[in-house]
Amino acid sequence: MSLHKIWLVLKREYLTRVKSKSFIIITALTPLAFVAFIGIIVFINISETEVEKRIGILDETNVLVERLIELNEARYFDVGSDPIDSLRARVLDGSLDGYIILTDSVITHTKSPTLVHGGSGGLSFISAVRSDLREVVREEKLSRQNVSDEIRDIFETRTGLEAVKLTEEGESEDNTLFASALGFILGLMIFFGIFFYGALLMRSVIEEKTNRVLEVIASSVKPLELMYGKLFGVLSMALTQFGIWIFFYIGLSIAAAPVAGMIMEAQMSSLPEGATEAAAASFDASTLENMIIEPSIFIYFILFFFLGFMIYSALFAAIGAAVENEQDSQQFMPIVGLPIFVAYFLNTKVMQAPDSSLSTFISIFPLTSPINMISRIASTSVPAWQILLSILLMVATFFGIMWLAAKIYRVGILMYGKKATFKDLAKWIAQS
Amino acid sequence: MSVIELRNVFKAFGKTKAVNDVSFEVTKGRIFGLLGPNGAGKTTTIRMINYILTPDSGQITINGIEASPETQKMIGYMPEERGLYKKMKVFDQLMYLTQLKGVDASEAKKAINYWLERFEASDWKKKEVGELSKGMSQKIQFIATIAHDPDIYIFDEPFSGLDPINSETLKEIIIELRDSGKTILFSTHRMEQVEQMCDDICLFNQGQAVLTGNLRHIKSSFGENSINLEFEGDGSFLDKLEGVRINNRSTNFAEIRVLNGQNMQDILKLAMEHAAIHKFERIEPSLTEIFISTVGEDNIKRSEIQ
Repeated sequence: MSLHKIWLVLKREYLTRVKSKSFIIITALTPLAFVAFIGIIVFINISETEVEKRIGILDETNVLVERLIELNEARYFDVGSDPIDSLRARVLDGSLDGYIILTDSVITHTKSPTLVHGGSGGLSFISAVRSDLREVVREEKLSRQNVSDEIRDIFETRTGLEAVKLTEEGESEDNTLFASALGFILGLMIFFGIFFYGALLMRSVIEEKTNRVLEVIASSVKPLELMYGKLFGVLSMALTQFGIWIFFYIGLSIAAAPVAGMIMEAQMSSLPEGATEAAAASFDASTLENMIIEPSIFIYFILFFFLGFMIYSALFAAIGAAVENEQDSQQFMPIVGLPIFVAYFLNTKVMQAPDSSLSTFISIFPLTSPINMISRIASTSVPAWQILLSILLMVATFFGIMWLAAKIYRVGILMYGKKATFKDLAKWIAQS
Repeated sequence: MSVIELRNVFKAFGKTKAVNDVSFEVTKGRIFGLLGPNGAGKTTTIRMINYILTPDSGQITINGIEASPETQKMIGYMPEERGLYKKMKVFDQLMYLTQLKGVDASEAKKAINYWLERFEASDWKKKEVGELSKGMSQKIQFIATIAHDPDIYIFDEPFSGLDPINSETLKEIIIELRDSGKTILFSTHRMEQVEQMCDDICLFNQGQAVLTGNLRHIKSSFGENSINLEFEGDGSFLDKLEGVRINNRSTNFAEIRVLNGQNMQDILKLAMEHAAIHKFERIEPSLTEIFISTVGEDNIKRSEIQ
């Protein structure tokens, strides 16, 4: 094994990629796409609540409608004593989204009223209306029974929950929501990273075959040297890209707090005296502090991306060596793709319950660990032995897969004009 | 002095014996032709000499050293399946390939500039290979093969895919290299190229070297057992001849190998009865004929050697 030759291959692979236009474009656009993606999700969530449906209330009890309007002015309004026919007509022509007739038996006999609507309400809309009705009916019943204020208070109790995270440094503001979101995003990035860069490596191997440059190279370099050189070349490029992104994220998050503070101050000075305090109370500086990610998470992120990339890219390189063109690679993709997709889909489970036994298992199992372990590390405190075990298992898996991949690679790169099958691959592994 | 030496080399792929007990020597300063039909084991042999594959058993030495990364540097190899990185610039590409052969950067640069100059290709330095014409990229390919100034040149089917002009240039360069003391080994399935260029040959068939040696000696050892016949008229009389094998037949030409001591005068008489004879010449057999008589007519596919 000649390190000098690996270095030459690495350098070529790295430089031709980093200098290419597509590298610059992808480096610049990916964060924008990410921000846009999150923006779209937020926008969808906001716009969902913004579009309010108008429900006409034909109230025979004369008490419930007031309470409903008090509860949600935008949603409910009193139709007085309009005839039902005209209400139906308005629902059909779309000027009214729906109507409810409330009779006294709704209060006295707990009869379920009927919502007549023009469709397109969605489940969340119907359940929102239902809970509104429950609330007003309960309130009305309580007031009819002349229940004392104390008991009324009991019903109005909304117990909240403050969460505080205890660490070596003492108690700190809880940031579970941010932490699990971060965990999920980091896992997602590793998932995309492995797939994107792995496929890049595979294409690069196939390209050498289709360009017929491979045998020229093979007369100077051992297949394994070539494979390592290309693998580390693509890895260096990936790390460069991640490095740029992390650098900008840290820069942004450091700059964000003072900038946000300045904006708040400017706004507060323009507010009248009394409002200033209220605004100051509503602005909690610690929410921004929570957005600063601990450096150790970045280190873990790089480490797990590194190991995950090594495991999968060895497989990708072997597939590239076994096939003649990209279409032929499809038949082998499910083998590589399955574990990584499983890891991706189960990552939502990890986010919900990072300490469950399923989460623990998939974060240690070497083929899913690169994605699931980083999500756990970001969202909970993982015992050190589990992290260590997962790393050891990944390293061992890497060497095992590399050993197999190198055999396929050695034979495959000299095969032209033949579509390899799984049987061929087994033969190649056996014969070399 | 032998620069390449193979001794009892075997290589099998599964049940196929690609190379079956092959031994030969290539002498310094000569052009050595490796010939035989497609699938005879030529490329596998060449790949083993280049240390791309390793033999199952037997020994391959280059300048006395067993084939290894060290010996790869002594060889300039142009494979049959050849190409370059399409998206890489000509100069960067040549630097990369030359440095992989162990040449340091400054020396590689000097050599590449020299050869680009010589092939009148200096203007293409900054161009991507994908932009070049086929003839141009063949020249770049050739520079990539020779820029590290090896002693030994190996070309696998060098003329396949070359246009006639580049083909002629390559022939001249090969002979020029030989005259400057370099050693050349090339493989081909086209016999006439070998006749024109090679000093020594090795005939391959079904993984075995069936005939090895000096081309002149081999030919003269077969004696003048063939006839070069040029005629005008009806050539169907050729079908009536017995005890002969006709190679290279066309409307007014035939190369006739005379078997079992048939009298050549009888053939001439028969020919004169049916056609006007322009030329009747006793010659040494062609390589095609030598190949056929060596491996036996039943063991070859004619279409693959002509």
